[in-house]
Amino acid sequence: MFGAALFSLASCQKIDNWAEPGARLYGNVIDTYTGKNLAMDNNDWQIRIIDRTWEKMNPGFVAQYQTLAVMYDGVYNNAKLFSGTYDMLPYDGPFWPVDTVKGVVLDKEKQQDFMVTPYLQVTDLTSTLVGTGLTLTCTVKAPLLLKGTVALPNLYEVKPFLSLTTFCGNSNYINIAEYNNLRKSINRTWAAELANLKLPANSDAISYTMGPLPVKSGYTYYVRVGACVNALSRRYNYSPIVKVVVP
Amino acid sequence: MKLKLILFAAFFGFAVSSCYDLELQPKGILGEPELFGSSYGVQKYFVQAYMRLPIEDFIYYVNTSDQDVNNNFIGYMPGNSNKWQAYKNSLSQMTGELYGWSVGMNGAGFGYWPYAAIRYVNVFINSFPNYKSNYDAATYNSLLGEARFLRAFYYEGMAKRYGGVPIISEVQDPINGDKDSLKVSRNTEYDTWKFIQADLAFAMANMSATSVLGRANKYVAAALMSRSMLYAGRVAKYTQYLGLGTDAAVQKGLAGMDPTKANEFFQAAYDAGIMIKAGPYSLYTKNYPDKATNFANLFLDRSSSETMFSKGYDGQTFGHCYDALMLPNPDMSSFVGSEGYPVLEIMQMYDFPALTDAQGKPVRFNKRSDIKIGMEPRLQGTCFFDGDVLKGIPFEIQRGIYLHFAGPASDAQSGSNNAPVNAISNRLLGTSKGSTYQGVLLSGRHGMSTAGSENNCFNGAFMRKYIDPTRTTALTNVNKSTTSWIAFRLGEIYLNTAEAAYELGKRTEALDYIELIRVRAGCKVTRPVLDQTTTSTYGYPIEASLQFIRDERLRELYTENHYWWDLKTWRIADQVLNQRYPRAMSCYYVFDEGKYIFIDEVNRDNRNITAPKSAAYEKIPQGEINKNTNLLPQNPLY
Repeated sequence: MFGAALFSLASCQKIDNWAEPGARLYGNVIDTYTGKNLAMDNNDWQIRIIDRTWEKMNPGFVAQYQTLAVMYDGVYNNAKLFSGTYDMLPYDGPFWPVDTVKGVVLDKEKQQDFMVTPYLQVTDLTSTLVGTGLTLTCTVKAPLLLKGTVALPNLYEVKPFLSLTTFCGNSNYINIAEYNNLRKSINRTWAAELANLKLPANSDAISYTMGPLPVKSGYTYYVRVGACVNALSRRYNYSPIVKVVVP
Repeated sequence: MKLKLILFAAFFGFAVSSCYDLELQPKGILGEPELFGSSYGVQKYFVQAYMRLPIEDFIYYVNTSDQDVNNNFIGYMPGNSNKWQAYKNSLSQMTGELYGWSVGMNGAGFGYWPYAAIRYVNVFINSFPNYKSNYDAATYNSLLGEARFLRAFYYEGMAKRYGGVPIISEVQDPINGDKDSLKVSRNTEYDTWKFIQADLAFAMANMSATSVLGRANKYVAAALMSRSMLYAGRVAKYTQYLGLGTDAAVQKGLAGMDPTKANEFFQAAYDAGIMIKAGPYSLYTKNYPDKATNFANLFLDRSSSETMFSKGYDGQTFGHCYDALMLPNPDMSSFVGSEGYPVLEIMQMYDFPALTDAQGKPVRFNKRSDIKIGMEPRLQGTCFFDGDVLKGIPFEIQRGIYLHFAGPASDAQSGSNNAPVNAISNRLLGTSKGSTYQGVLLSGRHGMSTAGSENNCFNGAFMRKYIDPTRTTALTNVNKSTTSWIAFRLGEIYLNTAEAAYELGKRTEALDYIELIRVRAGCKVTRPVLDQTTTSTYGYPIEASLQFIRDERLRELYTENHYWWDLKTWRIADQVLNQRYPRAMSCYYVFDEGKYIFIDEVNRDNRNITAPKSAAYEKIPQGEINKNTNLLPQNPLY
């Protein structure tokens, strides 16, 4: 018995000879229109990083990407990475594709910001509460219909997000049919949607109204509207969050 | 001590005496001459190849992490001990055709990578010419064609998942060959489908016209041609609308094709359909004039004139659990019982009685089973409704009682507990099967009480398709079912041909095929009026009649594991399955009127089904990329 105990304790001694991953990589994802951090929800989409140093140390192998979560305020921060040279790409977000930033050297700590151009802007969110019915109105803008030779993909949908916490968006919302079925499913080009709504062909903004969404008395809701185009995984561009107290 | 000595002596004696000369020819192993030298040997050899075909049948298990010893046919699971769960985790459950058990939508793929099986067939294709002198020309060509058919089937199983994959048509040599030659890159998606087309064209030209049950002939090869080329045509035509154009795999042609190639594939699908139409098969009509029973028996009759190719089960070595997992225990199943039920939104795509009148009020029915009045026979052959008798027991499906229900159906707010009319003082729900209220039935024996979804119908009906009514309840048990799975039937081929013809602009001819299907189904309107109005629900223009043809596929092939591949190849899986809430048809007794009403309700778990955009292509298995980095780039969005 004593021998077994000794053996099991002794076997827990060995530590590997690698330094622990302690380098920190952080930064902001900045909206080129506002100069401020991009409005989003926690971990809606990720930054892909590829460790090229590992590839050099292991010839013949191809490194797989890792992902860094971007938080609701457009900030990412990971303090448990190995030092090395990384390629970085904000991927599958609600913005025009950006180029991979190559050769980011991470020693102890490195700030790497990204500038992105959102597909859409959602502004002027107003909420009107009548009884326990919440009506939302917002403006969706498409500042750029053509980037180089690439046209803006179809405007896909405009969707209300309601949450009972201050976090609100596609990662944190009340996911029920009563709300989801009130989203606007569009899936048309910008021009076709203008024609569909009989708006002037040169407008760069469309107003949408959704609701009434049934809310409960005595609760505080955090509400925002997201709009997306039919690109990659259709991530949302969001309006600011509005607090709604239901009496 | 003595014991040790004896053991030592025994072991020593055994070890020494066992050193016989082992330079003997093994007697029980069949080599190439025995297997390839006669058609019986070839038949034996092909058994393994048929076993591994990617046929999504009763035992196809979505998302399983279980693997067979070769790690190469995950999901298809022949002989796996966990396969009893397979139908709970079927494609139909995943796509929301059936509702009950929740099956995750796994965009990461099922890991199907059948190169071991392809090698097995390639060995035959490469070596069989050495034995040509043993056969007459027709038999030789037919067997070689059969091998090409089998190989095409594996590639079709991969192409519909991954797009372009490495084309291996020779037997690789892993021991003496150059190691790097084993790291084959992916071919383009176009080349992959063309390779399948070439194999099948050879098979159609060379295979015999007839075959024994469970083995393919040239018409079966044509059937696979019809299906796979239709998939390829859709992929070529509609991938451009996915919005994935910036992705590396798309730009290299590994995922997606040039839209101008679409018509050559549609033409190949159409031509194969024409060949089959002239063949020996016919739509099943043996049980006319009862079109409902006829449609149900089509899936049970092994001598059906419509079945082209089926996968058999004997209930001993190979059985499945479909009956035991689709019927309620204890009345009709002796196993865990049912947990997958047809959903209202699909039932309403058939000729279906109105649930509300012109004022929006629920229609009053004298009996629950009156819901079947005016219902399309094909739907009655597909589903069991209240009052239908199986194994001597009538189905009894009722959700609860309304003491009073005067207003429109919208008052019920899709079944929400918050609706005033649904207050517990007015809407009574049974908490157990067969409970009553003041002597009146509250909730049915087979559904829809407030209990869980096991053996408690959630949506208002049970599946009838593929259910064997002659199977006793005692024998409705684990791995006892013997119903064959129909891999190809003429009905599907007509629908393939119709869609291909329509895509080629042969609109009238396309509707001719649809009419044949709808006459057999017993529809009220057998021939739809040609309607070329375009809509763009999915972000691309589609004519109304083409949408009708697509919908007809779902009606006819419902739960036959086509829908997922259809949604994928139409490139609309992420749009049709975008927070879709499966719906229920809930029957209530209105107490103060003595009548029954049916309310259209959201499923009671408030569960929705969403397919990710990445579902258009599955992920190339990471384990394969680790072995062979030439498989990169990965498919879009992974």
